[in-house]
Amino acid sequence: MAEATRIRRPARLESLPLFAQFVMDACAAHGADPETTYALRLAVEELGTNTIKYGYSGMDAGDIALDFAAHPDRFVLTLTDWGKPFDPRAAPQPNVTLSAEQRPIGGLGVYLVMSMMDEVSYRSDAERGNALTLVKLRDGQRSAEKRNT
Amino acid sequence: MKVSVKPMDGSIVVCIEGSVDGLTADELLAKLDEQVDAGKVRLVADLSGLEYTSSAGLRALLGTVKRARNKGGDLRLAAVQQPVFKVLDLAGFTGILKIFDDVPSAVASFK
Repeated sequence: MAEATRIRRPARLESLPLFAQFVMDACAAHGADPETTYALRLAVEELGTNTIKYGYSGMDAGDIALDFAAHPDRFVLTLTDWGKPFDPRAAPQPNVTLSAEQRPIGGLGVYLVMSMMDEVSYRSDAERGNALTLVKLRDGQRSAEKRNT
Repeated sequence: MKVSVKPMDGSIVVCIEGSVDGLTADELLAKLDEQVDAGKVRLVADLSGLEYTSSAGLRALLGTVKRARNKGGDLRLAAVQQPVFKVLDLAGFTGILKIFDDVPSAVASFK
């Protein structure tokens, strides 16, 4: 059985610290390792910022909801909003091999989050909103999966 | 986030502690810009107390590296902790920034 918890707040920059605290508290309560906690905290900051700045741009700002579920083998975090659809899996990849002089400033946030997750899925529909689901496997499961691949 | 600045042996050591996120990165960038604007471009970021940075912190670091190098200096990192190192590595920053085990080594590298 998964243990689930939820927070829903207006899509404003002031909500971001609340989202970060929600994820850190949930991770601590369910024994997530530091890497998982970091990755999920980063996810709510980077993707939450995108939703606030771009997802709701040109329209009345709605809410962002976070659902956190702790399963025996994994942590699942779903970010839902009701703004413009954006599938971060389709975001352009930055070239991380360029020199400092050639590197553009920015464009790393979504890439970092995608790189740190074990699974990512996305669905968008008019009624239920845009839902991005991020999965981090628990420690033991990560090494077990690696052995099996 | 807490940022403190102190001179050491011809360099400026910028100690960044706590968390750098979208709400605090501007303050960090302002402190770094202040040094570069004053012509102090031998910069060492002491990251021994930095627990978390998002891409906002990486933007501040990259912007400062570019400005410092343009003026003949550099921003070098010292004592990077594992979670932050992983983010720097994923972003490709470990290949473009000079990283040292501790602050004295980073300061000495400017000589």
